[in-house]
Amino acid sequence: MSALRETSVGVVGTEAVRVTARALAHRYGPQRGLEPLSFEVVAPAVVAVTGPNGVGKSTLLKIVAGLLEPSRGEATLAVGGRSVLAAERRRCVGYAGPELSFYPELGVAENLTFAAMTRGLPAPAVRVRESLDRVGLSRHGTERVAALSSGMMQRLRIAFALLHRPPLLLLDEPGNHLDDEGRVALRAIVAEEGRAGLVLLATNDEREWRLAERRIELSGRGLGHSA
Amino acid sequence: MPNAGSSFLAAVWAILRKECRSEWRTRYGLNAAVLFAVTSLTGVSFAVGRLTDRSDVLAALLWVVLLFAALASLSHAFVREVEGRTLTLLRLVASPTEIALGKLLFNLVFLTVLEAVTVPLFLILMGAPGPRWGAFLALLASGSFALATSATLVGALISQTRGRGALFAGVSLPLLLPVLAAAVAGTRNQWAGGSAAVEVRMLMAYAAATLGASLLLYDHLWED
Repeated sequence: MSALRETSVGVVGTEAVRVTARALAHRYGPQRGLEPLSFEVVAPAVVAVTGPNGVGKSTLLKIVAGLLEPSRGEATLAVGGRSVLAAERRRCVGYAGPELSFYPELGVAENLTFAAMTRGLPAPAVRVRESLDRVGLSRHGTERVAALSSGMMQRLRIAFALLHRPPLLLLDEPGNHLDDEGRVALRAIVAEEGRAGLVLLATNDEREWRLAERRIELSGRGLGHSA
Repeated sequence: MPNAGSSFLAAVWAILRKECRSEWRTRYGLNAAVLFAVTSLTGVSFAVGRLTDRSDVLAALLWVVLLFAALASLSHAFVREVEGRTLTLLRLVASPTEIALGKLLFNLVFLTVLEAVTVPLFLILMGAPGPRWGAFLALLASGSFALATSATLVGALISQTRGRGALFAGVSLPLLLPVLAAAVAGTRNQWAGGSAAVEVRMLMAYAAATLGASLLLYDHLWED
């Protein structure tokens, strides 16, 4: 099924969003971060990346996001049939991970407005309001980030990832610290984004990987890849 | 979609605004820098009195105070992002060059504010003769530009290293000696009635060369 969607890179057919990993591997010094891995996923889809702690789920998402250069192999992203260089991925990728922090001296909406303006998005205030609404943070826009609970912070990370309507959404342990209401919002976001684009979820939480129709299972002794 | 040029400028401008807002709310660097400048000038003024006829000492003292007041704070533009773990956010919204240019502009604003407080205080407390304003302001502007480009580059390079505080001082001070020497010589010359044009050109050339090298380096800054 094909769909059209307005994203940060213009209106694209969602089937045109494609992530491909070829013999992708990463090491942190002498330590293995990610065993060699190959896969291809195409939008529209929600794909879960699962596996034990330390097997490289977060590393994989960071490589796809362009935050980390792989030690070996490659991870390519194509949007609308055009390959997106790692240095330009920030325009097409929405990333929310545990290490994503915000400026504590700024408010919730101020942090997102800064991100929207830096990305050069049109109507930043509208985008910020829309993102905060989607994660249920609209009543907390004026609060300082330093005053947020862990669950609120997690919602803010997800709002940040959605801000520029990216065709590819990378969510690392997205349910961390979320309450029931937050999990409902997360499920709705994943379902909606997965209908329109591509969502990669790194998680070991069954409630989250059950949202995906495909699963990439990483293991320390090589990788299984199950549909 | 915005075009690449306007998007680049929008990113640099947004980063500059964010830096100014953060500094205004936290006074992370400005309070320390102004406090250093005021206490050191007051201390010297009490110890040696007015130095009206010693243009060589006045010039050296002015730039030493400005340099050391600014140095610790200038490095923090990048170090703060690493220690606050906000570098990932920045990398997700802007290119390394946009980030570095935003930080460089902030450092220039910071130095301008610091000089706006320190220089009048210096002129009054030290009893300095009235400067030749054109040359004096040109020296302050070119010296600040050179200081900011070097400090921003070094701050970016050392931001993810261990012991970055010691490294910043160790790497910056040799790089900044030519800036200090040219700025002191030019300031002394203008007080002695001579020209400071050569020193201003030297400082601008130094800043331009450092900025050029920085623009080549910034895109490779955070490649893991």
